[in-house]
Amino acid sequence: MLCLGIESTAHTFSCAIIEKTGTQGIILSDIRKIYTPPEGEGIHPREASRHHAENSPQVLAECLQKSGVKINDIDLVSYAAGPGLGPCLRIGAVVARSLASYYDMSIYPVNHALGHIELGKMLTGANDPLVLLVSGGHTMILALLSKKWRVFGETLDITLGQLLDQIGRHAGFASPCGSKIEEIASKSSTYVPLPYVVKGNDVSFSGLLSATKKIIPKGLESACYSLQETSFSMIGEATERALSFTGKKELLVVGGVAANKRLSDILTGVCKRHNCTFFVAPKEYAGDCGSQISWLGLLESSKKNGAKLEDTFVRQSWRIDTVEVHY
Amino acid sequence: MKIGAEADIYVTSWNGRKSILKIRKRKDYRNELLDNRIRRLRTTREAKMISEVKSFGISTPLVYFVDQKKCEIFLQYVPGKLVRDLPNGTIIKACKKIGRIVGTLHKNGIMHGDLTTSNFILTREGLIIIDFGLAQKTEKVEDHAIDLRLFKEVLNSAHIDIVGKSWESFLNGYEKIVGTPRKERVISQVSVIEKRGRYANVV
Repeated sequence: MLCLGIESTAHTFSCAIIEKTGTQGIILSDIRKIYTPPEGEGIHPREASRHHAENSPQVLAECLQKSGVKINDIDLVSYAAGPGLGPCLRIGAVVARSLASYYDMSIYPVNHALGHIELGKMLTGANDPLVLLVSGGHTMILALLSKKWRVFGETLDITLGQLLDQIGRHAGFASPCGSKIEEIASKSSTYVPLPYVVKGNDVSFSGLLSATKKIIPKGLESACYSLQETSFSMIGEATERALSFTGKKELLVVGGVAANKRLSDILTGVCKRHNCTFFVAPKEYAGDCGSQISWLGLLESSKKNGAKLEDTFVRQSWRIDTVEVHY
Repeated sequence: MKIGAEADIYVTSWNGRKSILKIRKRKDYRNELLDNRIRRLRTTREAKMISEVKSFGISTPLVYFVDQKKCEIFLQYVPGKLVRDLPNGTIIKACKKIGRIVGTLHKNGIMHGDLTTSNFILTREGLIIIDFGLAQKTEKVEDHAIDLRLFKEVLNSAHIDIVGKSWESFLNGYEKIVGTPRKERVISQVSVIEKRGRYANVV
C-alpha cells in the first residue's frame, strides 16, 4: 500500500510517501518547506498559508520524484485535518481533495497529534508507551486506554514549544527557535530561580514565561539555561507522576521539542528511576512532517474506508482524546 | 516498596511501630539548586499539612519524624487498599467520601494539589487521604477548581468506564460539605479551566 500524506498545520508544508507492508512502513520520501517569519515575530496564519499555497506544487513534485513512485500507483491520500491554523490546514486539504478527485484515490482526514504518536511508535518500535507529546501546539502526556488516547497530564496554558518560541522571539530570533535556545543554554550553568509550577499531573508555563523575560537583561545565556532546566524538570516530574500512576514500562517522546537533547537527558533520567525504556522519535521525524500523516492514513485505511469528499473538512480545534482508534 | 513520582516509599519501623519512610531523593537529572529547593519545600509542607488537616476531622497518617536535611518523613503505616485498585462499584461509593474529604479541605482553605485515586486508601476505619507534597493554603475558587479538574481528569483517563457515576458521586459528597452555591461556583470555574485547554473549544 502506498500513501501520500500532506501536512500543513502550522509552519511546515510537507508531502511524504510511505509504503506499508504488513505492520512496517518504509518512508520513500518526505519533502518539507518551512515558513519562517521575520526575526522577532511569530507565525502569521495568512502569510504561512500563502507560503504553503505557493510551495505546494514544488513540494509535491519533489516528493513524487524522490520516491520514484508514479502518482497513479498511489493508493490513498491523507491530510492533516486538525488541530492547527485554519488557513494553513485548508491548503493541505485542498491539495488532498484535488488529488483524490482527479486521480480517484481514497482520502483520509487524520489527526495531526495522533500522527506524531503513530509515526513515533513505528520508527522506534515502542509497543505500549506512555507518550509525551511536546511541540508548538501540544504539551500532553497520553496513554492508550479502551480505544482512545487519554490525557494523563497537559499544560494548563501555553505549550512548551510556545514557551521556548516566545522567549526566543523576545530575544530577537525567528521562531521556531527551540534549537537556538538550546544552543545558547548550553553555554551556561548558572541557575537563576524561576517559578516551578506543577499542579498534580499538569503544568503551567505562563508565569515562567514572564519571569524569564525579566531575567533576560541580566544575561541571555543563564536565562535560557534556567528556562530549560525549570521547564524540562516540570515536564520530567509530570511524566514521572503519569508513569507511576499508569505503571507503563515505556516512554515515547514525540513532537518538535523532542529534538532537544537536554530534554532527552532529563527524560532518560526519569526512565532510569522508573525502570522503563526510553524512546525518542528520530530528530528528523520528531517535528511536523508528511510522514506522520501518511503513516496514520495507512493505519486508518487498514480498518476503515476513505471519507466522502463532502466530509473532508478541516477542524482547527480537534483534541486527540476525542479520536477513536480502531487499528 | 515503591518508587513514586517524587519520592521513594519504604516500609520500615519507627520506635517499634510499623512505619512508612518517604524519601525525596536527590534527582540526578535536575539542576541541584532547583532540586534542593523543591525537595525541601515539599517535605516541610507535607509534614505540616498532613498534621494540620487532622484538626478538621480528616484522617491522615500520623507523622512520626521529619528530617529536613535528608528530606525524609516517617509516617504511620496504614493498612488498606488504594482506591484506584478497588472494584468499580466500590470506587463509585468511595468517590462520595472523597468528595466530602475534599470539601472539608477546601472549606478550611486548603487545596490538596494532587487529587488522584491513588492518594486515597480505604481502610477498615474509613478513607484516609495521603500525599500532601503539593498542598497549599488557599481560599481561591480557581485553586479549588484545579483540585476538582485534576480529579475529573484522573477519572476520565484511568476510570473511563465509571467516569460519569463516580464524578456525580464525588460532587454529591463535595456539595454536602461546601454547600450548593460554592459548589456551583467551583464547578463553573472548572469549565473555565477546561475551556482554556488546548483545542478544547471549537473555533
